[in-house]
Amino acid sequence: MKIATNIPVREVEESYINIQPIQAAGRLTAEAMKALIAYGDGYSTCDQCRKPFRLDKITKPPIAEFHDALAKFVNMDHARVTPGARRAFQAVSLALAEKGDPIIVSALAHYTEFLAAESAKAIVREVPLNDQNVVTGDALAQKIEGVTKEFGKPPVLVMLDHIDYSFANEHDIKGAAKAAHQYDIPILYNGAYTVGVMPVDGKTLGVDFVVGSGHKSMASPAPSGVLATRDEYADKVLRTTQMLGDVTGRKFGIKEVEMLGCTLMGGNILGMMASFPTIKIRVNEWEEYVKKSNHVIDSILSIKGSKCMSEYPRKHTLTKVDTTDSFDVVARTHKRRGFYFSDELKGRGIVGEFAGATRAWKLNTYGLSWDQTKYVADAFKDIANKYGLL
Amino acid sequence: MDERINDLFEALFALTDLRIIFRETAPMHAFSEEQKANARDAVNRAKDALDRLEGAL
Repeated sequence: MKIATNIPVREVEESYINIQPIQAAGRLTAEAMKALIAYGDGYSTCDQCRKPFRLDKITKPPIAEFHDALAKFVNMDHARVTPGARRAFQAVSLALAEKGDPIIVSALAHYTEFLAAESAKAIVREVPLNDQNVVTGDALAQKIEGVTKEFGKPPVLVMLDHIDYSFANEHDIKGAAKAAHQYDIPILYNGAYTVGVMPVDGKTLGVDFVVGSGHKSMASPAPSGVLATRDEYADKVLRTTQMLGDVTGRKFGIKEVEMLGCTLMGGNILGMMASFPTIKIRVNEWEEYVKKSNHVIDSILSIKGSKCMSEYPRKHTLTKVDTTDSFDVVARTHKRRGFYFSDELKGRGIVGEFAGATRAWKLNTYGLSWDQTKYVADAFKDIANKYGLL
Repeated sequence: MDERINDLFEALFALTDLRIIFRETAPMHAFSEEQKANARDAVNRAKDALDRLEGAL
């Protein structure tokens, strides 16, 4: 079946259990799919856009209300939707950094935090990890001291992932926020892997900005994301245009500079909004999803030679495992090499692992029912048994 | 809204609900009793909407 003659229908989620590391929590709800059907047209949000002509002020559909609800959801003062978490990193970097200013990120920071800093002509410095691959408040304090000495001025921003993309380890955000504030440095909480799957309370964590990813963790179409800020930084990060056209004298009212005006203008924001009631409920079911994650990882670890590279027991549904001494042993002599593992999984209706990888690889079990969780856990053991690895 | 347009969306939305059930039960699609009932309800809603739509064409 094809769309427009050459686009295959994507039925990955309907036909398989998908354990792909970054796709799990971005899968749409039924309501988000319905919103896409109804609001897929380009500027569909703009039917009833009235003065002052800004996305977050639109009341029909209730986009303004959604912005307020988003801010409350992460316990911050203001929220804006953004085309992904990355554009939120960029907005904050552009607002706070001048050319040559240092910005501190984690040694496990996502690459888009680097690019965001670079786009602001800032310079990235990384907080090293401890022996558990975790960033601590003490490590951040030390790094701030070092960077201040190196640059002759303190960093203008700390961006830190609560859960990193690589190991999905939990980092000490609260300790880091305390450390950053001791030096009067604002801290951005990267919640790409948390906002929308687990409860996040920005003020309790003590952070100045909360960033989330709609398409990664809020069951929303890509690109979508959220930037939430405290009152203290709203004037800077959400500053409005002052620019005047020299020929026409035009000025563009209350458009926000770092947002580049309106951000998500069609199905993306309506998809976010439609999933939001489910999101508010599902964050309270997080511990159950973590249990399911541990069930699958325990199954992998029961296969001789398998290791968990992430923190264990798991605190997240995304996990990095090392099967060099288990599934990779078979790959070394198998005619399909590492692809035998993908073949075996796909034959059991499971996809999403990095095809051909049998050494270090990641999986995400978010969203699976208990039946599906047990099925996946058993499938790994079944493959191991078939190849004499148990 | 024109009744025919309403029925069009009703059918699309009912099939979307059915789509989710296929997702929730992948890869075996062995429906529980509750899922069977929900799937039947979705199919019936889609059928009813399409019947009305066909009659109004």
